[in-house]
Amino acid sequence: MTPTPPAPAADGPLLSVRGVDVGYRTGRRTRLTAVHDASFDLYPGQSMALVGESGCGKTTLGLGLLRLLPRTGTVSAGQILFRRKSGDQVDVRTLAKEDLRRFRWNEAAMVFQGAMNAFNPVLRMEEHFLDTFRAHERRTRRPRAEILEESAELLEMVRLDPARVLPSHPHELSGGMRQRALIALALALRPQLLILDEPTTALDVLTQRSVVEQLTELRERLRFSMVFITHDLGLAAELADRVGTMYAGRLIETGTTRDLFHRARHPYTSALIGSVPPVAGDRHVPEPLPGGPPGLNALPPGCSFEPRCPRATEECTATRPELRVLHPRDEGLSHAAACLHADGAELPTRGGHP
Amino acid sequence: MATDIAATPPPPDPGGGATTARDDGARVPPLRRIWSNYVFVKVRKAFVVVFVVANVTFFLGRAMPGDPVDVMAGRLTQGGMSMDEARAVAINSLAYDPDAPLWSQWWEFISGLATLDMGNTINRPGQTVAEAIGAYLPWTLFSIGVGTLVAIVLGLALGMVMAYWRNRVLDHVLSVVASVLGAVPNYLIAMLLVTGGGMYLGWFDPIDLRGTLSPGVEPGLTAEFVGDALYHAALPIVTYVLAIIGTWMLVMKASTTEVLGEDYVTVARARGLRDRRIAFSYVGRNAVLPLVAQIAISFGTLVGGAIFVEQVLVYKGVGGLLLDAVNYRDYPLLQGLLVIITTCVVLANLVADLLYSRLDPRIRT
Ligand SMILES: Nc1ncnc2c1ncn2[C@@H]1O[C@H](COP(=O)(O)OP(=O)(O)OP(=O)(O)O)[C@@H](O)[C@H]1O
Ligand code: SF4
Ligand SMILES: [Mg+2]
Repeated sequence: MTPTPPAPAADGPLLSVRGVDVGYRTGRRTRLTAVHDASFDLYPGQSMALVGESGCGKTTLGLGLLRLLPRTGTVSAGQILFRRKSGDQVDVRTLAKEDLRRFRWNEAAMVFQGAMNAFNPVLRMEEHFLDTFRAHERRTRRPRAEILEESAELLEMVRLDPARVLPSHPHELSGGMRQRALIALALALRPQLLILDEPTTALDVLTQRSVVEQLTELRERLRFSMVFITHDLGLAAELADRVGTMYAGRLIETGTTRDLFHRARHPYTSALIGSVPPVAGDRHVPEPLPGGPPGLNALPPGCSFEPRCPRATEECTATRPELRVLHPRDEGLSHAAACLHADGAELPTRGGHP
Repeated sequence: MATDIAATPPPPDPGGGATTARDDGARVPPLRRIWSNYVFVKVRKAFVVVFVVANVTFFLGRAMPGDPVDVMAGRLTQGGMSMDEARAVAINSLAYDPDAPLWSQWWEFISGLATLDMGNTINRPGQTVAEAIGAYLPWTLFSIGVGTLVAIVLGLALGMVMAYWRNRVLDHVLSVVASVLGAVPNYLIAMLLVTGGGMYLGWFDPIDLRGTLSPGVEPGLTAEFVGDALYHAALPIVTYVLAIIGTWMLVMKASTTEVLGEDYVTVARARGLRDRRIAFSYVGRNAVLPLVAQIAISFGTLVGGAIFVEQVLVYKGVGGLLLDAVNYRDYPLLQGLLVIITTCVVLANLVADLLYSRLDPRIRT
């Protein structure tokens, strides 16, 4: 087997995201800020789910962390501090080109949304593995057979038959096989962080299950940290220790999975949880959430959830709530919410307000 | 979740409830078979096209005013022969009898083609059609072939540069150049080369460049021959390159831009691959695939344009021969040329198709 997983860094977070803004250029002079002021700490071995409606900026944040945004996108503010395998802490935003190249996949890998097209259609699967290893092994040019053997072990970890997969072209594999092959490839260099962007959305239920089970198992075995982007709150509950809810480009509530599923303090999180089938036997009455999220270039001046919020008051239209710690804990596990009335039990809804 | 974490990897389950691909057992041999089938289909189609063209040529030949025998006999009578005598000589020399039934003429023509026997020329005494074409066609194919190759290589490279640098100054400049080149007819390019580069700027002597070979140079695989052939073909080649490079640049830019947005390119960047590797194996290779059919289109365009370009540049290729055949109503030669030239274009298409199937693994299935 390949070397054992990296020992968790002595102390401190693996990833520390501080006040990150990510935006896209949409015209000659216009920009769209798709992620505002994102901050969170991810400690070694932790798994954090990012949930929220379509278009709230989850993918943008994930791509921004590795600076993989399309040409029009940039991380325009903040710091992305990462503790490298060497123990040094770097800001991913300031990494030079070649350094960034070596950082990617070796320290942090990403499984993309819609990974059906993640593989180059004209190359065999084995060439994808060879390319990946060789891009990160500078001096020693390992023999092909040795790399393929290691690749075979990786594929076996996700229960794929290497003899069948390696010589195939991507189109000869099913979607589920490709997805698992990509996970195997993502773990090839034993990254400390794996970002998964809706890794199971395009799969049927049975395949979803097997992918999720293998992820759980691999994480226990290899101890990487994970950022897990999903629409499926059930999956989030199962795979993540912590959850971050995003709304209109902002993280509006973070906390442990228990916090968010049982003691959600932001009305949007409650609504989100209420809008899916019951989790862990806890039967919520589904509350329909009227309307849709505001346009990112026309955010209300106060709380961006205000137009849809059942608890909104006059104050909410004027004051933008900051992410505020409600229940402090170590290792980034504090429960925090960006709601002016997060700790109020009985609040007048706007309907009852004079 | 109660998953058993064993120290050894769990046994592979190849299907894993996700198998939509073919069975393992039926994989390799059918692939082979289907692939050769693909070739077979393409070759068959090429044959059909050539056959149809040959027939169209045949019937067009019969429908045109003036029978070749009459044309030749007419010429012979001017030399003092009687009409009947002249007809007999003409029929004999053309190996073609206009009074024979149509079906037997047809059979003579088609079976003759199969052995490249296309009869005698009218206007080139003692030369068969095959000999005449054989003497001129290679030069045209050579200049067009080299021109197409150079244009493709340069066009692909420039197109990729434009896509990678799109919306920058270089891209805008190259786009304008490419569009202008695409709009200028190729004989005009040839004229501009001769008058501008040759006469006005004096970069070369257009008179010396005429023809296909300098006097005294013997064909053969010698450096002298190849060098001299290229020297004389330089102007046609440059003309052909300029005539089609614009199209190649623009289509390659469009194709590359599209591929740059593909997931696998982003994933390749995420995997930390080197830029060069991504540009060649991930972007370039996929961007070229949809353009392979363009090879045959370019080739066909140039064959059509060669007639004028060769006239302007006084290059002794098949273009001049075709004009002669038309001017002197040398029908057998005209027919032979039409069939052979279309066959060349059809072959270019075939080569492009087969190349495509080699490049794109998805085609073989
Ligand atoms: N390349 C781009 N150019 C401009 N705007 C973009 C671009 N990509 C995304 N956006 C915008 O940024 C916002 C966030 O998009 P993002 O893809 O991050 O959402 P998401 O939370 O991942 O949604 P989903 O759940 O549908 O994947 C959206 O409003 C989207 O329109
Ligand atoms: S701040 Fe006001 S509007 Fe925003 S979520 Fe809290 S209660 Fe609702
Ligand atoms: Mg997304």
